[in-house]
Amino acid sequence: MASLSIQNVKKSYGAIEVLKGIDLDLEDGEFLVLLGPSGCGKSTLLNMIAGLDTITDGEILIDQNVVNDVHPKDRDIAMVFQSYALYPNMSVARNIGFGLEMRKVTKEDREKRVDEAARMLQIDHLSDRKPAQLSGGQRQRVAMGRALVRDPEIFLFDEPLSNLDAKLRVEMRTEIKKLHQRLGTTMVYVTHDQIEAMTLASRIAILREGEVQQFASPQEVYEKPANMYVAGFVGSPPMNFVPAAVVSEGGKLGVSIERTANGNRSSVFLALPNDRQDIGDWVGRNVILGIRPETLTHRSDAEISLNKGLQAFDCQVEVLEPTGADTLTYIELGGREVIARVNPYNTTEPGETMAFMVDMGKASLFDPKTELRI
Amino acid sequence: MADLSALPGGKSPWQSAARFGLYTLLLIFAAYYILPLIVVLSTSLKDLDEIRNGTLLSLPSEINFDAWGYAWNEACIGVSCTGLKPYFWNSVAMTIPAVLISTLLGALTGYSLTKFKFKGANLIFAMILFGCFIPFQVVLLPMAQSLGYLRIANTVPGLVLVHIVYGLPFTVLFFRNYYVNIPDDLIKAATIDGAGFFMIFWRIMLPLSPPIIVVTIIWQFTQIWNDFLFGASFTTGGGQPVTVALNNLVNTTTGVKRYNVDMAAALITAAPTLVVYVLAGRYFVRGLTAGSVKG
Amino acid sequence: MMSLMTQKTIPAKQPLSDWFRRNVAKLVVAPTFGLIIFFVYGFIAWTGYVSFTKSKMLPTYSFEGFYQYIRLWKMTPWNVAMENLLVFGSLFILIAIVLGCLLAIALDQKVRAEGVLRTVYLYPMAISFIITGTAWKWILNPGLGIQSLMQSWGWESFAFDWLINSEMAVYTLVIAAVWQSSGFVMALFLAALRGVDSEIIKAAYLDGASLSRIYLVIILPTLRPVFLSCFFILTHMAVKSFDLVVALTGGGPGYSTIMPANFMYEMTFRRNQIGLGAASAMMMLATVMAIVIPYLYSELREKKNG
Repeated sequence: MASLSIQNVKKSYGAIEVLKGIDLDLEDGEFLVLLGPSGCGKSTLLNMIAGLDTITDGEILIDQNVVNDVHPKDRDIAMVFQSYALYPNMSVARNIGFGLEMRKVTKEDREKRVDEAARMLQIDHLSDRKPAQLSGGQRQRVAMGRALVRDPEIFLFDEPLSNLDAKLRVEMRTEIKKLHQRLGTTMVYVTHDQIEAMTLASRIAILREGEVQQFASPQEVYEKPANMYVAGFVGSPPMNFVPAAVVSEGGKLGVSIERTANGNRSSVFLALPNDRQDIGDWVGRNVILGIRPETLTHRSDAEISLNKGLQAFDCQVEVLEPTGADTLTYIELGGREVIARVNPYNTTEPGETMAFMVDMGKASLFDPKTELRI
Repeated sequence: MADLSALPGGKSPWQSAARFGLYTLLLIFAAYYILPLIVVLSTSLKDLDEIRNGTLLSLPSEINFDAWGYAWNEACIGVSCTGLKPYFWNSVAMTIPAVLISTLLGALTGYSLTKFKFKGANLIFAMILFGCFIPFQVVLLPMAQSLGYLRIANTVPGLVLVHIVYGLPFTVLFFRNYYVNIPDDLIKAATIDGAGFFMIFWRIMLPLSPPIIVVTIIWQFTQIWNDFLFGASFTTGGGQPVTVALNNLVNTTTGVKRYNVDMAAALITAAPTLVVYVLAGRYFVRGLTAGSVKG
Repeated sequence: MMSLMTQKTIPAKQPLSDWFRRNVAKLVVAPTFGLIIFFVYGFIAWTGYVSFTKSKMLPTYSFEGFYQYIRLWKMTPWNVAMENLLVFGSLFILIAIVLGCLLAIALDQKVRAEGVLRTVYLYPMAISFIITGTAWKWILNPGLGIQSLMQSWGWESFAFDWLINSEMAVYTLVIAAVWQSSGFVMALFLAALRGVDSEIIKAAYLDGASLSRIYLVIILPTLRPVFLSCFFILTHMAVKSFDLVVALTGGGPGYSTIMPANFMYEMTFRRNQIGLGAASAMMMLATVMAIVIPYLYSELREKKNG
């Protein structure tokens, strides 16, 4: 187990800057997920932690030791690759034990540890098979076994689940979570899948074009996204963005949203909770209102009386998409398509008007120019 | 392609006629390719009288290996009448080390250029690749001089050196194109597992390489065995490889022209590559297509 | 305290082994690269230099400009050789490609015994040009070859004396070279045909296209890279052709069938005119490069765009 510290790390290939100064600090035993779209630099960063890529500037420390110039094999890390990178010519047992063999672990000890790791991952019956004879899920387990058997200070995962089908992915996600809980080893995990990030991470670092957008716990990332990019990246369906203006009406601060209903322009006023008084400076200016679909649902007076943040309004329904548990209800607010998550038994027909309520206590406000959270 | 004739509506009298035409075409060309071999073989088994009195296509009345024995042991090449035997062994002694060394160097270079890319690796590859395209005439003269300076002119080691050098661009090309498709993640995983450059080559890359090794060895073997230009330019007398000796044998104008011996000698010279081709032809084709289409 | 820990856990630096680890790939490439630099680039430079001197039996190093090149292009044998190369090269390339492509398409029709036929078409590729030349010299010789075969079959007036006819001898080279190489072209085309997406063919079939139209309009255009590869490889073979001429015609009758490669060999090794030999070698290199460089350039550009 080890702490990991990434200090102002930069990477450039010629004139192209891939990482523009990354700062991340990780406690011993944490699970860090590097989340971002392809090309954001997350895999490059992981490779740099592993020692598979050189560092242009800055420092990486494992357990307070600068490892910039330390060979990968001396960093005491293990890595699980997206392609699994199993050695095609070696049996499962050989694959798992190769790292130990290279470290001159005695044959007896090696066999014992390989056996243990294989049992832990329920692949002990496959020891003699070649990778080509395994299913995707089994290969994934062998790749994990290869990392596990070494008992490293830090586990690195490079999109390890992206080649699996949806069902297996969920299964293996849980396995990885269990593994982390059991071993307590520091883990760094790269993915573009925000659900994986949310379920696994103790902290998420969201990267975009070589810069960290936000580095926080999954809950904080979800509830208080640092900017519109993070807000849009995390959550499915994504957060609704509605152009609005901050207004003060009858002494209450709120937002006013333009909309067109049956050809008539009107506006909706949604009051902000009292703890958002910091927004006073913004009165009369435009903002982007961010609403998660699940905080926008059918109106329930009972709930409104309990939660002061809930604001009610009526709106015409455009499209309904039942998903089983909820029905995604599309409405139009501020000229944008907005998704509400509604109980299937409370929906109405498309084209009809329906009563909604939105939890303004959970809403986010963004500066339309900088896209930063207000 | 998909067999369209088996699909509904594919069968008609016209189709059958086309099919007949197709097989006729295929067989005519099969004859074009196979007849020379049959003619050469049957001539080599006839005696001289039968050759003079018969025709090209008449089969030998009895199987007679005299010409083969004569070509192997007695035929005159230039002024020495030793048969093809010593030259054949020259070729063997030249081909085997040249094939093995150029293949090994090609594998190591291809591996370095793809899996341990350093600055300029692509430029180096392009510069090596250029060697595939030169007409060898531009290097004959300096090579002849250099072999002289190195005191290996007219020797088997001299020819081995020549064939290694000018085979390298091809072996590097083959291995580089093969290794470039092996995922880099394997090397990364092995590096993290603690394996070094040669360990990865030995334990990971080589076990994955048999297909391309076979292809490269067959390619190099046929190229080097069949070479005539270098053999003719850098050797004389007893140092010649078998292709050069064969040409001298056939074009020796003194004495009675023994066509059967010429043909037997040609077949002896062709035998090693033909055997390799028959045994491993599938790989040969695969190698030609992989090497030249992609390269 | 921090620095103490640093020293404890990080393996002691070993400058030499570290340096080796960082540079091992370069060290491994070095011998190959060194050989190529010396034996390819160095030698070409040397030949190029000698071509600008008046070297005869031994190289001399005083610069004489284009003396040898001017001399070269005034020599009848060299001009004959270049003409032969043009005639032989264009016929050989054209016929080998047409035949190879045709055979590949024919073989691609789910024919019986495809494996045997493929082997028969391709085996000449495994044989040396010297053997090909020897065999065809025997078959084409007017005394005992095809001519006498036809005459013995009752076609008394049949004449086929190309081998000893200085007007026609160059075409015997084409026959033998096509025999040797068209199977190889066939293999390249067949491999490419097998790689054509069968769904495209099915789609065209559903659209009502006939088999010949499918080939002409859909499949052959996708084989453009194979045509290019074949063209380039065969050109390269044609420019290099030396052994076939030696074995089949010996350059004769007279010097009617010599090729540039034979001219170069003759001047360099038989007539002690190494300056002239070097100039002719450089002309051959220039010929190959004129074809190879545009080819490589287009290949590289396609790869970059794709």
